[in-house]
Amino acid sequence: MKKDSNQIKKRSIPGLLGIILLSVLFVQACTPKSSLQEGVLRVAMQPIVQADPAFISSDPEVLVANHVYDYLIDITPDNTIAPRLAVDWDASDDGLLYVFTLAKGVTFHDGTPLTAADVVWTFDRLRNPDLGLPTKDLYTNIDRIEATGELEVTFTLKEPNPFFLFDLSDNHALILKANTTDAGTRFNGSGPFKVISYNPEDRIVLEANPNYFIPNQPKLAGLEFIFFPDQVAQVEALRGGQVDLVFLASSVELYSSLEGELGVMLVEVPTNQFDLVRLRADRPPGNDPKVIQALKLATDREAIYQLVVQGHGAIGRDSPIGPMYSQYYSEEFPVPERDMEAARQLLAAAGYADGLNLELHTPDTGNRPNLALVLKDQWAEAGVDVELVVEAESVYYGDKGWLEVDLGITGWGSRPYPQFYLDTMLACDAVWNESHFCDAELDQYIQKAGTTMNEEARTQAYKEIQRILIERGPVIIPYFSAQFTAVRDSFQGIGIKPFWGRTDLRLVSVAGN
Amino acid sequence: MLKVSRAQGAAPSWGWRLARFFKRLYAKPLSAIGTTITLIFLLVALAGPLIAPYGENEIVASDARQPPSAQHWFGTDNLGRDVYSRVVLGARQILVLSGLGTFLAVVGGTFLGLLSGYRGGWVDEGLMRFFDSLLALPALLLALVLLGTFGPSTFSVVGVIVIVYTPIVARVVRSVVLVVKSKGFIEAARLQGESQARLLLREIFPFVLPALAVEAALRFSYAIFLVASLGFLGAGVQPPNPNWGLMVKEARSFVNQVPWALYFPAGAISIVVIGVNLTADGLKRAWQAAD
Repeated sequence: MKKDSNQIKKRSIPGLLGIILLSVLFVQACTPKSSLQEGVLRVAMQPIVQADPAFISSDPEVLVANHVYDYLIDITPDNTIAPRLAVDWDASDDGLLYVFTLAKGVTFHDGTPLTAADVVWTFDRLRNPDLGLPTKDLYTNIDRIEATGELEVTFTLKEPNPFFLFDLSDNHALILKANTTDAGTRFNGSGPFKVISYNPEDRIVLEANPNYFIPNQPKLAGLEFIFFPDQVAQVEALRGGQVDLVFLASSVELYSSLEGELGVMLVEVPTNQFDLVRLRADRPPGNDPKVIQALKLATDREAIYQLVVQGHGAIGRDSPIGPMYSQYYSEEFPVPERDMEAARQLLAAAGYADGLNLELHTPDTGNRPNLALVLKDQWAEAGVDVELVVEAESVYYGDKGWLEVDLGITGWGSRPYPQFYLDTMLACDAVWNESHFCDAELDQYIQKAGTTMNEEARTQAYKEIQRILIERGPVIIPYFSAQFTAVRDSFQGIGIKPFWGRTDLRLVSVAGN
Repeated sequence: MLKVSRAQGAAPSWGWRLARFFKRLYAKPLSAIGTTITLIFLLVALAGPLIAPYGENEIVASDARQPPSAQHWFGTDNLGRDVYSRVVLGARQILVLSGLGTFLAVVGGTFLGLLSGYRGGWVDEGLMRFFDSLLALPALLLALVLLGTFGPSTFSVVGVIVIVYTPIVARVVRSVVLVVKSKGFIEAARLQGESQARLLLREIFPFVLPALAVEAALRFSYAIFLVASLGFLGAGVQPPNPNWGLMVKEARSFVNQVPWALYFPAGAISIVVIGVNLTADGLKRAWQAAD
């Protein structure tokens, strides 16, 4: 009996091998090209409200749109410009003319080809002042947009804009088919994934676009964006195996709660997101520059960095030009060390020898309440008595209250280039000049950095701006937050971006493939 | 009890009454434990700043996220605040808030209950239907709605306790008044020409007292729970207040890192609520024994 079975085994080994070989060959021969795409990545996120790219704003909305549609130009995780629909471009020497060449063979999900006319229509829509879109101010500098060929688009600018390519990659600037009227309800993009089903209260399901114009992309067979209103629930869903990817934003506590979780990989990327402590400079007590200087001297940045963001991210230097912008960031000018005696003297000189009472307004989200608490404690030693006013975001930002209060903490998101912060927060006529600050020298450098096409001159201007802000700026920027993400380790190739909604999942694949 | 002492002719001293009262409270082990717990927490609340080694928001940056030790008995939280000090200082905060709220609710409820029960008629009808409409909502829901309207502050938390608990106290008082007012001696007093206020306070109120004391103790324990719950839900007192509920809320997201910052305030809430509840039971028994 035993002998027999051995014989059978011996005889069947070559046969078995043959069958396996044949079946492997057969399967490979029969498999269409798209079967290289495998695996479905389930992403947890807040529900989306807007689907029309012109109106999207939250990270989840941008994340969905970025996989249904394509940008003309992409921004890489390290904040450099990369081609997407535009494979090549040329700029005139005066910086006023940009000519883009589009990729060949791009089709929308409905089968129609993407041409220069679609790009022109998309940007004309975004800059149309009558539509009241969020992008209308961004593109006022564009004089005209023309299709100068089937696959060639020419932009003519009124003034040179060194950040024009970044502006073209604005979150809203996803290319729609010309004359689309139902972008809010129908997802007809050219992007790497097609929407199969969308249930606003549950999830949005996407499958790989087999006709995507970039070969071998996407690598996954599908994506599922599953909606959770609560971030703690998202983390629990990851633990429970219902989702594979959770964006934790800058939540140190959620990040640390997942440390050591089996099968989960934690990713931390630096960003330029910061909490801004600012004092109104146009009325007492902030109109005396000694007061903000005293507050700066009373602030222990290292302690804040360890306590509030637990050593993640980077320590700030009171300028929005953070270390993420490695080409512009400078440590040349020292930030004064904490000096309580000097702080008290400055306050006394400003007329607050008996102490200064301040109300510190802060939204109740993120790390801001904790930052407020630590500042209250640190400043108390200098004789500054802070009363905390912790408010819901809707209250803090409601009725422009945040622009009114004397002392406040405001959260600012990460941007691919620093000029945005200077133009909208620190220039004299800035739309969100929350500290009501105006400094002629600073304004001059902001203006220069935002218009010069000379990179060296810009770097120099940014350096001066950092010096001025340390010397007499109205703001304290104690830290730059890190961006945390948790992903199941059975996936690979996720390039998290500082604005996580712009994270690109085209190159994500099942680990081992 | 009052009747008995009056019949004996000489009123016993307050000290003697108090001693006898505590003797009865301590007669049963459970109410003895409860009363002890309550007294300890009251003592802690009174002594607060004297026995707390650190300030409620004093940050010891170098000691952040330390487990319980000789220096920090209950450890430190994510910002380096001493959890023991916060629990101790939070005791006064939570007991004062819920105590004040309960006291006002008891005073208001007693007044309205006496009035409603004694007068009857449309006063009674109007008040009771209004209270019914308030009682139809769960206390926490009503509190959340009110705080949503008034905005979260220490003051509005006290107000909410008063609004939520006055109807309950009034109902209890009214039910006792209804029983007492039909008794002959009330009728006799009225015929003697006693004023309504005197009648209510001198003749009826003493009968309400036992039930009221028990009710007040119960309301107190529920009020503690309510204040803590509102703090936890973020609707009540706001950071950086050392409210135990708020502390639990803040520590919840750090529970993997600093579990002690959650366990101690949560434990304090449970223990004091159990303590006050047991005291209320004991009070009830003590009064019944007196009757």
